[in-house]
Amino acid sequence: MRPQLTTPATPAAPAAASTAATGAALTVAGLRKSYGPVAAVRGVSFTVRHGEIFALLGPNGAGKTTILEILEGFRARDAGQVDVLGTDPGDRASGRALRERIGLVLQDIAVEPYLTVRETVARNAGYYPAPRDAGEVIALVGLEGQARQKVRHLSGGQKRRLDLALGLVGRPELLFLDEPTTGFDPAARRDAWDVVRGLREQGITIVLTTHYMDEAQALADRLAVISAGQVVAMGTPATIGGRDRAQARIRFALPGDCSPADLPLSAARAEATATGDGLVTVETAEPTGALHVLTGWALGRGTPLTGLTVDQPSLEEIYLRLTAQSRPTETSETTERNT
Amino acid sequence: MATITHPAQRRVNTRRGWRRDAALAWHQVKYEQLSFWRNPQSAFFTFVFPVVIIVVFGALTHGGGRSSYFYGLSALQYYVPTIAAMSVLGSCYSQLAIVLATRRQEGILKRVRATPLPAWGYFLGLLAHCILVSVVDVTLIIGVGRVFGVPLPTHWAAIAVTLVLAASCFCALGVAVASLIRNAEAAPPVVQLVLFPLLFLSGTYLPIHSQALNQVAGLLPVRPLNQALLGPFAEHTGVNWHSLAVLAAWGAAGTLIALRRFRWAPRTQ
Repeated sequence: MRPQLTTPATPAAPAAASTAATGAALTVAGLRKSYGPVAAVRGVSFTVRHGEIFALLGPNGAGKTTILEILEGFRARDAGQVDVLGTDPGDRASGRALRERIGLVLQDIAVEPYLTVRETVARNAGYYPAPRDAGEVIALVGLEGQARQKVRHLSGGQKRRLDLALGLVGRPELLFLDEPTTGFDPAARRDAWDVVRGLREQGITIVLTTHYMDEAQALADRLAVISAGQVVAMGTPATIGGRDRAQARIRFALPGDCSPADLPLSAARAEATATGDGLVTVETAEPTGALHVLTGWALGRGTPLTGLTVDQPSLEEIYLRLTAQSRPTETSETTERNT
Repeated sequence: MATITHPAQRRVNTRRGWRRDAALAWHQVKYEQLSFWRNPQSAFFTFVFPVVIIVVFGALTHGGGRSSYFYGLSALQYYVPTIAAMSVLGSCYSQLAIVLATRRQEGILKRVRATPLPAWGYFLGLLAHCILVSVVDVTLIIGVGRVFGVPLPTHWAAIAVTLVLAASCFCALGVAVASLIRNAEAAPPVVQLVLFPLLFLSGTYLPIHSQALNQVAGLLPVRPLNQALLGPFAEHTGVNWHSLAVLAAWGAAGTLIALRRFRWAPRTQ
């Protein structure tokens, strides 16, 4: 199928592949995948370390799920190297051994309707060599109250929690979560985040996809922003896209009797621009100095700086900027640039 | 594919693997049963339809003697094995094709594939389930026949062999059809479209006295099962190896198609 050598690995002794050497749980290098003329993944590389939560953040259709499905062994890749816990997920011979060590929570809810929650979890537990106790997993995802209920009587959110339980029951070293909280209400999302953080505490490596900035911010140790099948930025939520080095913004209402040019900013190496809402925005690399100058000036004049705020660009702004090029012409671009 | 396992190590793994695989197979058979019996609709239709048919036929033909039209048997002596064959087709071929197409469309098969359960384990669970359901169906039909005065079959061993083999073959054909159908909505009509003419052609509802037609039908999958059951049910003969060989050939063809074409994931746009 794939014109590529598969790593000769056996279930008993996985060959020392790249992850074993680097200590990474997962490595992807130069990954490519096209569907007919559409290039869905165009040369993606990243590494996930043991015990961290790694997020693939990107808009719908960016290629996140395709990447995840290749890592999970559901799709064959066109090119590139993939190594998951020392195994090539495209290698069918070692598929069962790999499946025993990873947990998958897919995007769509798909559970048999007529079994109870406990029966469903116990059934899947039987597929693994060293499963968790069914009751323990049910409690972990907060479904104790529904353990004896038939799956078809569960709400959508409860079904997704059952899905998570099925991903965890095999005691995975590595857990894939494909958009784990899509469709959750805010309280349920926070609960789900707590569960995911709890899993990290237990040493489970987690790879998740999301198109929610706040989710990536709240959960991820590191993240890659995916846009039109490529990694456009990688880093921690605090540093991604140069967020930590970005200019700080000081905002306040300009006193009625002066213009931005009147502000004493030349010494602070800052620039002020008036925005339509009567506020002025001062951008500076040294917010401490600029603030000192501005507040001194204001106190000297006896006019307080009303509505004063200081912030860095939010992850959302960085994300929108990073994915801006691809968004308006996403379809035409992906079809044109096929490889 | 090259493997670099040390021979001794491999032997240990195989032995441990064997025991685990057997436990896994039993586990899957158990839960497949549980899913089936929990679904009131599937349990109802699987058992009620064949029983209703045989009761209706029994009521219609009750008291009729042996006739040459039914090859020297009473009408119900003829219908008990042919309706038994039909019930096997229903629970193995039709049900399995529809269930698999539905489970695939709903993403349940993909979810199964996400676990370490090997494909053979999953299909073994389904096969064991289909054989069990067939046995229950055939027993019910024999019971109804008894109520209407049909003598009990004499060659139970031959019936058992025929049932297991036929159930396996029709399961393979069911999986093959599920492999060729793309969406779940198409499954019931396609399954019926294939089955209904075959049942008529094979003499399930009315005996066929055209030699040419019987020769053609004898090469298709349904008539051989009718013949293989008529013998041990009503004619005091044993296993009909010739008919079972034709069935086995169809089963092999079905398996081949299933191996090459079966897909676990729902179709993506």
